[in-house]
Amino acid sequence: MQNVITAEPLVEFVEVFRTVNGSVFQSDKENCWYIDFVGKLARFDYRSIMKLRKAIYAIDIEALLLNSELTPDLEIVFICACDHCYVLTLLEIIDFKKLLEGTFVMLELNRIIHDRVYRLSI
Amino acid sequence: MKDITRVQCLLSTEVEALLNQQIKKEAQSASAYLAMASWCDSNGFDYSSEYFFKQSEEERQHQLKIFKYVLDMGGSAISPEVTNIQTEFNSFREVFEEALDAEISVTQSLKNIAANCYKEQDYVTIEFLNWFFKEQREEEYKARRALELFDVIGEAGTGRWEIDKHVNDIKYDSEG
Repeated sequence: MQNVITAEPLVEFVEVFRTVNGSVFQSDKENCWYIDFVGKLARFDYRSIMKLRKAIYAIDIEALLLNSELTPDLEIVFICACDHCYVLTLLEIIDFKKLLEGTFVMLELNRIIHDRVYRLSI
Repeated sequence: MKDITRVQCLLSTEVEALLNQQIKKEAQSASAYLAMASWCDSNGFDYSSEYFFKQSEEERQHQLKIFKYVLDMGGSAISPEVTNIQTEFNSFREVFEEALDAEISVTQSLKNIAANCYKEQDYVTIEFLNWFFKEQREEEYKARRALELFDVIGEAGTGRWEIDKHVNDIKYDSEG
């Protein structure tokens, strides 16, 4: 008789938010998020996702749009103590910001639900 | 879906940002008071200078208190950049007028944080802020009383010398 071994997947993902160009998943087991964007899947813990948000929100998109200098409109997003680095074009920055904004709205919503619903039922 | 942000940090993003803004405000007050101490000292108002040195130290303590609270609750406290400190004043009285203005602005800003906390039902931060509200009672009283001395004593003759002598004696001794 053939033994069928079923292994539990190592990481369980819950989708937090998705746009046309990227998506963010949460792993409850690992207490972290996975961001799938510009062709790579990167893992972020609480501290680093907060730093990533700060770094992306701090980019002045309007200034980049109005910049008429002959330089490539690339931004290098580097986060201290984090393994990942993004090299993004202007359009990717706009997409990434949209993705992160949506993600944090969903996380906030999740927090409100936990606060208002589960807190009362425990 | 697990609420990871809540596990990591008690504060919401908004309250954390407001508290960081308050840290900056307290740092700015501490520097402003130091500038006032310097102006008073240079103009011969030594007692007032001493008063402002003490005030500056108090503001610094307030700043650190909020700083530590944000860290203790799992947030990230931001060491603020302090710029645009007024170092010149037109008169002795103007220094105290600026001081009262600063205190009123601090109270308003604390009220704004508390209003947000009530909205979010963040009772932990409200309890923390209560200490500051009590402190503001004293701060505003002292600043208002100092200005009152200008009216009560008057600036003519040796008036400013008298005022200077009394500023450092201002005490707020309400219950608790």
